[in-house]
Amino acid sequence: MHNPQQEIRVAVVFGPGMKLRPVWFELNRRQHVIRQVTNSWLERRGETPLLHFHVTDDGALYELVYNMKDGVWKLALVEAL
Amino acid sequence: MERTIMHIDMNAFFASVEQQSNPALRGKPVAVSGSESRTVILTASYEARAYGVKTGMTLWEARQKCPELILVPTNNRLYTWVSSRIIDILRDYTPLVEVFSIDEAFLDITGSTGLFGSVERICSLIKSRIREDHGITCSIGIAPNKLLAKLASDMQKPDGLTVIEPGDVDRILESLPVKELCGIGRKTEQQLLMLGIRTCGELGRFDVRLLEKKFGVTGLKLHYMGRGIDDSPVVAEEEAEEVKSVGHSTTLKKDLTARDDILKVLLQLAEMVGRRARRYGVAGKTVHLTIRYTDFTTFEKQEIQPAPLSGSMEIYRAAAQILDSTPLSHPVRLLGVRISGLRPAGEQLPLFPEERTGLRLTEAMDKVNNRHGDFTVMFGSLLDQRSKGSHVISPAWKPEGIRNVGVD
Repeated sequence: MHNPQQEIRVAVVFGPGMKLRPVWFELNRRQHVIRQVTNSWLERRGETPLLHFHVTDDGALYELVYNMKDGVWKLALVEAL
Repeated sequence: MERTIMHIDMNAFFASVEQQSNPALRGKPVAVSGSESRTVILTASYEARAYGVKTGMTLWEARQKCPELILVPTNNRLYTWVSSRIIDILRDYTPLVEVFSIDEAFLDITGSTGLFGSVERICSLIKSRIREDHGITCSIGIAPNKLLAKLASDMQKPDGLTVIEPGDVDRILESLPVKELCGIGRKTEQQLLMLGIRTCGELGRFDVRLLEKKFGVTGLKLHYMGRGIDDSPVVAEEEAEEVKSVGHSTTLKKDLTARDDILKVLLQLAEMVGRRARRYGVAGKTVHLTIRYTDFTTFEKQEIQPAPLSGSMEIYRAAAQILDSTPLSHPVRLLGVRISGLRPAGEQLPLFPEERTGLRLTEAMDKVNNRHGDFTVMFGSLLDQRSKGSHVISPAWKPEGIRNVGVD
């Protein structure tokens, strides 16, 4: 089980035009290499932009959320593939 | 000059977006359902449709049709985001884009073919960009008007491209059932059937005076529809008519009878209406209350107010007053609050101190909620309400402006 409020470490490539591409993230001291970013979308909670990514590794689908105001990443969802 | 109108329809939109997000769902029967307990199927993937799963079915009915159906809860923020990005793509090919719903749009590309080559090339570019950027397919209809373009996009699904040339219109419409035309619902279809009209060909030939006698001004429109004539323009958002009302409604998690329970929902709806009205600087002279009973009887009552309202508490009080003047005959299933007769909200400070305090309180709440998100600060009586805000994408949703309602 993961805690959706828990902050996680994410390695990100910042591309041209402020495009973010998460490359790997850590969960329970294990590094998960991202195979595919399947979707991404922006949500605004008040003045805080939250950038959501649906990503897969070899076994699961994850939703990573980047709080663009605080510079913090959280894991919102884990679903086995 | 002959117009070239495109209608674009995203195929099984919500389900396709979910299949793109989650590779495990691809090629499988998937249905997206609402987040609330009394929900129905919002859309189904083509794999699920092959089993007979349809929009509007209860979850139980859908599972009867397809026991292996995978149900996915709706992710409205994702769908509205993807829809907005797709509209951005469409606007690269013409400024005349009319958003018809979250997954449909009309484009007037009459002046675009000179820039991009041909109609087919524009369609091909749009289709490939949507597929590359969002991993989903769409069906496109091309015709001389909106009525026929919508008809054309329905002819090949999924991932279709259908062109109705002006010379083909009569042949296509001759044997086409009238219900296939956008704007002819079940009720109109039955009324036409009573006149012996089944097909568009028959509708086009029917005596227009009799149609007008039966349907009033709509009779002439029906006559033109039967002949495939539609002069309505593609209206881009910035040219669209001003919004006439601001409203929210909600289907309740359980049927309500107690006044206090109903009032809590009204307060929440009034806050949503008031927030949106204040954000866009409008106030409404008339407050409407909509009630749907458990037997699906629905009625709306309205009260003209002494002055235009935009304060949540004022809207709530007006709605509560309408409620108190309405003896409820059944438990309530749905509630809606709306303000109409919109005008620019006045800047004038109220005369009485308690009204001024109320105004400052609203301003302070708005400031906090603008910064931290809706319902961060709320009325105390809403604290125990678990579900707040909008959870359903309105049919009138637009990617920008007052109709861009944030949904959870």
